[in-house]
Amino acid sequence: MKSTAILKSKGLTTDVLKSISFELQSKEITTVIGPSGAGKSSLLLLLNRLEEPQEGRIFYKGTDIQEFPVTKLRREIGMVFQSAYLFDGTTEENIEYGPKLCGEWEPGETKRLLELVELPQSYITREVSTLSGGEQQRVALARTLANKPSVLLLDEATSALDIKTVEHIEALLFKLKEERGLTIMMVTHNLRQAERMGNQTIFIKDGQLIEKGNTEKLFKNPQTETLKMFLEE
Amino acid sequence: MQGTTEISNLSLLFIIVFVMIPVSLSYWFSLNLSKSVLWSSLRGVVQLFAIGYVLTFLFDLPSWQGIGLWVAVMIIVATLNAARKGKGIPYVRVVVFAVIALIEALIISLWLGFGYIPFTAEKVIPISGMIIGNSMIAIGLALERLQSQFKEERGRILAALSLGANPKQSSHQIIRKTLKAAMIPNIDGLKTIGLVQLPGMMTGLILGGVSPLDAVRYQIVISLSIFVSVAVCAMLVTIFLYRFYFNDKMQLLDLHT
Repeated sequence: MKSTAILKSKGLTTDVLKSISFELQSKEITTVIGPSGAGKSSLLLLLNRLEEPQEGRIFYKGTDIQEFPVTKLRREIGMVFQSAYLFDGTTEENIEYGPKLCGEWEPGETKRLLELVELPQSYITREVSTLSGGEQQRVALARTLANKPSVLLLDEATSALDIKTVEHIEALLFKLKEERGLTIMMVTHNLRQAERMGNQTIFIKDGQLIEKGNTEKLFKNPQTETLKMFLEE
Repeated sequence: MQGTTEISNLSLLFIIVFVMIPVSLSYWFSLNLSKSVLWSSLRGVVQLFAIGYVLTFLFDLPSWQGIGLWVAVMIIVATLNAARKGKGIPYVRVVVFAVIALIEALIISLWLGFGYIPFTAEKVIPISGMIIGNSMIAIGLALERLQSQFKEERGRILAALSLGANPKQSSHQIIRKTLKAAMIPNIDGLKTIGLVQLPGMMTGLILGGVSPLDAVRYQIVISLSIFVSVAVCAMLVTIFLYRFYFNDKMQLLDLHT
């Protein structure tokens, strides 16, 4: 089945990024790799409209994102950060946060989401401050998924977690892609993870998009000397 | 005032001798504070005498001129002092000035309206000093807390915005914490008022020969007026200024760089 671009950027330029253009294919996982300070996180902030490009445009489902109401766009293009950044309160209060803002909360949804991120139902009333780092990150993921986004942006969301938790979250992301048709863009410094997870991969260095393409091809046969050197490091 | 004993220059000089006690202690324990103690004491004495002469001059002016001039000076100084804590926030001075001026006008109008004090410089200026001074401290605390909260909680605010919250919703917890931090010292102060130490104004009135019960009445009015000023100032400044941390696209600005 031919996939279609759900998110597209043209010449995105900020203090950090230099004319970045790419297309995010629907129902695929795109991994973003590159050295620290390359501008990977800045790129995600632009897509969630938490920052504004100095130049360039972003299209979501064929329409310039400037034409969407900001809050609606942010719910549709959800984001999970490197830290969970949970709010004071219980797991339930955190998960309900997004949908309650727009009055779209369905009773029982928290339980379904807890099940999805493989957390026990008893956690529903737990204060989030009592959860482990891995559990907090799963709550953060459930909180973003509660908004029913079409696109999920992950900014090094598994970098602070242990191997077992990372495996669980990776499996969950595959499931979300397959079962919910979610489009995922994940920034990671873990090259093995980028290779495991990605359908497409983007390599950014010094704010410039150096290479992009099919993940398998890109890792096996890098076209630029810069990417070759980066993969060998 | 009835019952007031005048302090002669000689007795005043004698009290300054007491300053030598902390100076000696500082020297004895090598605290390196002797110079600071002497300098602060001297500065305090000079400032108080200066203010004494200024007040005498103001009290001799027609009421509205003296009051207007000095209250304006107090509000400006308080604004500049408090607004320093909110460095980088757009319009911080304008908002702080407007809030202090508003609360001063409100409280003094009530005092005059209820006939607690007549419209004379001797009465209005000291009361205004208390209102403006306490408002300045509360605003400073609120701004300091607002700045540190926006810095520490940046990640959580971004997370809230990314979930579809607007600036008000994403700053909700910060606003609550800021207001609490600004009001708690005053609430605690009210709880122990009179038990731990007699408030300055009441002490002054009693020393000046006013009966303790009359002094208490004045103290109640001033304490509650200060409490209201502090609460309202912290609230208004926080509510007016938090929005400047965001732009019109609901994006969080970095005001700390």
